[in-house]
Order: sequence, then structure tokens, then C-alpha cells
Amino acid sequence: MSGTYEVVIIGGGMSGMMAAITLADMGRTVAVVSRGDPVCCLSTGCIDVLAAGNDPLKGISSLPDNHPYHLVGEDAIKTSLEMFKAVMSEEGGAYVGDAHVNRKILTPLGKHKVTCLVPGTMEFADFDSDEYIHVISFNKMKDFYPNYITSNYKNAGCSIFDAGISTTIGIAERLENRQFLKKFILWLKGLEIPEGRIAIPAVLGMHFAVDVCNEISVELGRKVFEIPTLPPSMPGLRLFGGLRNALLKRGVNLYWGKEIYSVEKSGSQIEAVTLAGAGRSTSVQGNAFILATGSFVSGGLHASMDTARETVFNLPVYLPGKRKSWFNDDFFTPGHAIEKSGICVDQSFRPVDTQTENLFVCGSILAFSEVMKYSCGHGMAIATGVAAANVCGELV
Amino acid sequence: MIKTDVIIIGGGSTGCGVARDLALRGIPHCLIEKGDFAAGATGACHGLLHSGGRYAVNDPEAAAECLSENMILRKIAVKCVEQTGGLFVRLPGDSKRFRDMFLKSCEETGISTEVLSPSRALDLVPNLNPSLEEAIKVPDCSIDPFRLCMLNITSSRRRGGEILTHNKVIDIIREHGRCVGVKVQEESTAEVREIRGKIIINAAGAWGNKIASMAGSGVPMTLSKGSLIITNHRLTNMVINRLRPSSDGDIIVPNEAVCLAGTTSITVNNPDESEVDPVEVDIIATQARQMLPDFGSTRLIRTYAGVRPLLKADGGDDRKISRGFKIIDHKNGMFSIMGGKLTTYRLMAEKISDRVMEALDLKTKCQTAELPLEGQEELSGYPLSKRLKTLENIVCECELVTADDVERVAREIGTRRIEDIQHRTRLGMGPCQGGFCTYRALGIMQETGKMAPEESMQVLREFLQRRFNGIKPALWGDQLREEQLVESIYLGILGMEQKQ
Repeated sequence: MSGTYEVVIIGGGMSGMMAAITLADMGRTVAVVSRGDPVCCLSTGCIDVLAAGNDPLKGISSLPDNHPYHLVGEDAIKTSLEMFKAVMSEEGGAYVGDAHVNRKILTPLGKHKVTCLVPGTMEFADFDSDEYIHVISFNKMKDFYPNYITSNYKNAGCSIFDAGISTTIGIAERLENRQFLKKFILWLKGLEIPEGRIAIPAVLGMHFAVDVCNEISVELGRKVFEIPTLPPSMPGLRLFGGLRNALLKRGVNLYWGKEIYSVEKSGSQIEAVTLAGAGRSTSVQGNAFILATGSFVSGGLHASMDTARETVFNLPVYLPGKRKSWFNDDFFTPGHAIEKSGICVDQSFRPVDTQTENLFVCGSILAFSEVMKYSCGHGMAIATGVAAANVCGELV
Repeated sequence: MIKTDVIIIGGGSTGCGVARDLALRGIPHCLIEKGDFAAGATGACHGLLHSGGRYAVNDPEAAAECLSENMILRKIAVKCVEQTGGLFVRLPGDSKRFRDMFLKSCEETGISTEVLSPSRALDLVPNLNPSLEEAIKVPDCSIDPFRLCMLNITSSRRRGGEILTHNKVIDIIREHGRCVGVKVQEESTAEVREIRGKIIINAAGAWGNKIASMAGSGVPMTLSKGSLIITNHRLTNMVINRLRPSSDGDIIVPNEAVCLAGTTSITVNNPDESEVDPVEVDIIATQARQMLPDFGSTRLIRTYAGVRPLLKADGGDDRKISRGFKIIDHKNGMFSIMGGKLTTYRLMAEKISDRVMEALDLKTKCQTAELPLEGQEELSGYPLSKRLKTLENIVCECELVTADDVERVAREIGTRRIEDIQHRTRLGMGPCQGGFCTYRALGIMQETGKMAPEESMQVLREFLQRRFNGIKPALWGDQLREEQLVESIYLGILGMEQKQ
């Protein structure tokens, strides 16, 4: 399974996958190496671009100068988000939304989340609408308690369906079965919900939720939407599944579930990464490499008592002081100082203070990205992934 | 109004022990605790059932008490005590002279010791620092303080003892200079009640001086904060002590699936002080790593601190204060019991109950040393065994707690507090520290009608903040990954950063 590619991407999350699609579309030969399924599987599936204000793209100019969004620029961010929408649409998981418009969607606690692009199943999840919401829950579903919504949200009611299983994935699998779905729709019709929208936790099928959602909507003559849930999150898994399919279609080689245990360098060039495997190791060689391994949560960075390191190439890591200054006291104020940690790069996404010339960095491992603080995770991943890939693709 | 003979203030090990002792002697009593059982130093200690070894050199009297109580508790509290045995480990550079004094003192106190060569010690605990000079084996055990309190309370309840948790003493009623009762306030309803009794026992631990002052007295005490850290794994099956004079970070105790390492000793003024400084964590972790090198790479899941209610010392080092205890007769119908240790809780209860009997002019003898704790029949021993069965609807994946467990406890004790559920089921005690399951448990509690959704949201907020306070001082490595995930769930997915 050893191989040689024009570009080797390390990290199979949002940023790495978007970089791979970009490069494959430029005609480059690409491999993606990933330790496992990415953190986006655990996400809501929504694309947060920047939570402040009504227009996330406008808000970018007010971010600190060192924020990685500035390396991309407003126009290119917009283009990359359009590209993402096109890819997901091709994969049957169409997203809706406008890069210039933030929307508020309903959360399982009856509160709201600010985001930008949402899966088609959340098109009608608007929090600010006064329209009545009828929440459908599932008996003993352990991550969804509709009372939170009916008590916190101004205008909502609730009914409970017994799916015969209590896990998110279990229910989602059943709802992909035609007969089961028919039974569910019949039950919904029996409720004779007089008005408004129907909200269902995000369990409307494993892959083609937009179709399931539309079918229910047509049968009932009502708007239907999904509410994102705790991990395992179906919208997150569908997002990952869609992008993964897009990679395979483009002939990108995937090295999945592999740990990198050594890096081969020659002068200022990285030549290959060696992957551990059962029996024998695999060498993946490339003309250029893109590092998209994410922040601490994804394992791209690893902190010890008072330091942090980058886990693949041991690149220099920016760290905001000693541990005592890493965290806020208040849990509910998003954005601890530790979030500033990461790799500092130049205008062409190359790490500063290193001797390597053919390495590019993108995604939440970039220093000063502060994705929780600004609520810009997936947007930043997409924008920097595409931008770093464009620079890299021109050079190799 | 409740009328009783003896009012016990404090639901730590001492107060619970007194309740059992008096119950077995047939004395009506009422125990008042402002939080849940073991909420103070009892629940915030390292869960070590001392062999006495730690005190043998400097405090032989306390050491002898520890030893004899150790032997009693391993008989009467089988399901609370894990007979791990303990090692005192001497590392390169640790004083040989102290080692000799240690052995001599242990012999004088009657603590059995066995000197082990490095290879013998490594046979017992394979991940000990291989460069150790030697280890001395002593009869240390680990003990579950919360379960111990609950079982003591069982004896009291079965004999009509009145137990009021989440009730705070707000005043002591005095008539003609004598204490004749207390006013208590229920935590959530704020309802105030009067309880009348002949004798009041102040077993409030670190809060003892506050209670005594309500009766116009005082108790001389020194408050000493001790901080500890919890690992994600059980790194050793034996208690590991450092063979040197007491100092920061000299003990590691295995407890259920984890290890606790401690401790520090910092004089404080406020009994509610519970903040752990990252520097304390660094000290404990660094010291623990010297004994068990694996400590350097293990994941720390939380920190916590308790305030030791020590007998008053005239300045100097808190560690030099005797771990013995003292009973103060305020000569106004109130007795205070001060100092002591979890290990000696039963003896403390016996001694103060003797004083009560004397005051009431009754003669029944103490039976707590002979009779096993009641209620143990229903408990499994080391609870891993209970996990080896099919479980449905698991809400806490780390500790294998089911929706039924949560519902049962919520109905049984009628609680609206997530901590009460945690103590009784181990919900949220594992690696994610309640990051996933607390939301679920509260969802279940409000579905059973125990609390309104708005109230459970408030409880969730308070829990998340408390949880973060405990995790923050030791937040790096894999626990930082977990924390970023938990943060993204509550702030990113659920939208909890918005104020109520």
C-alpha cells in the first residue's frame, strides 16, 4: 500500500478533506492519511462561519489581525463555502444558507445556536420565528429531553414515538427502512397536529436525511426540521460521509486508521511519512504535505503540564503562557486562552521558524484560530483548507 | 418541631458514627447535615485506612489509634474496605536514618512491617520506580468514605434515628444559659424548623468553630487545606507512601477504578475553601511520578480539596499537629469533637457517646467495635463485580450507570440534587466527569417529575461550573481533549453560553 503522490494530506477532518477535494479538482494526485474518523462526526453538521453579527463575512474584518481568516480574505472564504455547498449537493446532502447571513437554529435545550450554512434538514429550524413547533421525541432516547424545549421555547408542544430502540444511530437506521418510515408517518398523521412546524431530533436516516425529511414534510403538508443532538451526531456523520464519498469519487487515496510514526526529511524537504500497520509499515511519499490534524481535541496538538507539541512534525507551537493562564474561570464564557495555541504560518500557509519548504498547514491547528470563541470551526476549516490547497497546488 | 435526646450536627464520618453508636445504645437522636453525607473533609480525603505507619515516628499515640481502628474496621466494614496493603517506598536520596526510626517506631506501636528488596517490591507493584532502594510493607487499606457514612446511617435509621440532610443549622437555641435545641433551614425550600434536644454534639468538622460560636463558645482549631488529584486508571493495587517525613505529594491510594494522589497542606481561614491551585497539582503530580513513573503519562481527571479540622497548634507546620482528637465539654449542654481522622472516626464516636451517656446518667456500653455495619448484605464488594451483567439504557458510559439506576435513586431519596445521584450511583465519576451523563440524568429527573425543566437547567449550569473548577487545575493531555469536546457540546451544540 506504499505510494507516491503529488500531495499528501495529514488529517481527514473538514480542512484536510476540503484541501484534498481542491487539489484533486486541480488534477493533482492526492492521498489523505488519517488516524481515524474526524471530530466533525461529533459536530452538529452545521457550518459556523463567524457568530458575531448578522453577516459573518462582514464580521471578519473585526477579528484580530493574526486570525487565520485574514490569510484567506472575504472573497475566497465565500468561494470556498460555495464550493463546499456544491460538493455536498452532489453527494445528496445539500446544504442551505447564504455565506452572508447568520441564522439561529433551535437546540435540544430550547435555546439557539448561531450558524451559517445548515444541512437541508435544518432549513426550517429558525429560532426567531413565532410559528408553533411540535417536537417529536422517541421513547427513552437518552440524549433528547423534549421538556427542555417545551419549557424554554415560547411556543412548542411535544409527542413521543416508540421506535423500539433508544440510541440515535439505532433510530436513524430504522427510519431508513421504508416500512418503518411509513409506520412513523402514519403515526405522525394520527397526531393531527393542527398548525406550525414539526421538529424531530436529528435521526432522520443515516445518509439521505434530506429525502426522508422531504417525504415526511410532503406527506404531512408541514415544514419538518431536525434538531442537532449530542454525539454520536447524525448530521456530523452525514457530513463526513458526504465529503468522504467526494474524495473517493475523485480518486483520492485514503490511508485511514493509521498512525504516523516517522517522517523522512531531506534538507528542507519532507519526503515521506511512515505509517504503522499490522505486519508491515507503509511509506507514503509526496512532493508536498498539508498538515490538517486539528487542535487538541483532534490530537494535532498535545499539551503536557506547561508545554504543548505538534504531534506529527514536531513543529514549533505558539502557546499562551503557563497553564494558570490557559483557562477562564467561567465555563460559560467561550474561548479559553489555550485556544490561541497552534502553528504560526506565513502568507502561503507555511509554518514559520522551520526549515521545511514543502509543508502547508490549515484548519484549527493554526494559531489564533480560536474556534470556540468566535464560533468559526467548520468555516475556518473549509476556508483555510481550500486556500492552503490552492497555494500548495500551484507550487507542486 | 422535632423532639429528641441528642442532636448531632454534621454528617461526616464522625457525626454518622455517633448516630450509629447512639442508635445501638438505644438513645433517640437527630442528625443534621447542611449538605449530603461526607460533604466535608470525610469525602474530600484520600480514602486511606491508615495502618498508623504515616504517624508512627512523630505522633505514636495517633498511630496506635489508627492501627487498632484499622483492625476493627476491616472486620466490621468489609464492604467499605479494600485490603490493599501498603508500601512505604524509599527512593535514592531518601534518608536511611528516617527509615530506621520508622521501623523502630512501627515496632513500638505494634504496626507489622516487612522490609522488601526492590525486586520483591516490584513483584507486588510492577510499575514502581525501579530505582527504589527498598520498600516496607504495612497493613494500609483503602476505604470508601461515602459508603461508610451511609452504612453508619443505616443502623441509625433502622432504630428510628432522625436524619436531616440538606438542612443547615442557623441558630442554637439557649435557655437559661443551656443549649436546648437548634434552628435548621432546609436548603431548597428555605423552610426553618426547630429541633429540641437534651444534648448537642458539634461534629461539624471544619465548620466546628462556626457552630460553637452560635452557642457563645469557641473551639481552638487550625484549618488546613489538602488538595488531591484523581487519575483515570488504577495504577497500583497497593497504597504507596513515600518513606520520608510527611510532606507534599507523599501518598497514592487505589480506589475503585482510579487512584487518588495527594496531598498538600495549606493553612486557611475559611472552611469552605476548595480551590486547588495548579501549582499544588504540579507538586503532587511530580512527587507521585517519582514513586510511580507512569504517573507522568497518565490522564488526570479531576482535582479536589478538603479542609482538615486540626487541633489548634501554636504556629509552625500544620503537618506537625497531632492527628489525635479531643472532646470539649462547653458546660452548657454542648460537646464539640475536634481533630481526628477518618480512620479513627469510630473511636471518636465511641468516646463522645460515652460522654453523652455519662451526662444522661445511662450505662449502656458501646457495641460499635463488635457488630458489623448493617446494610452491607445488599452491597456487592468491590463494585466491579456488579458491572459484569447486561445493562440496558446506560446513561453514564464511564461508570455503567443505567437510566433505571438514576430513576430509582431519584425516587428513593426524593432528591433534586445531581450530587446526591452521583454519590449513590457513581454517575459522572469516570473520565468525562459527567460531561455527557449529567445532561441525561437531569433529563430523567425532570421526566420523573422531581424537578421542573427550568430548575434542572439551573442545576446543570451550576454543575458544569463546579465540574470545570475541579478539572481546570490539572487540565492537559487527554483530559484537555475531552474538555474541548465537552465544551463544544454544551456551548456549541446546546447553546448554553446564553444567560438564563
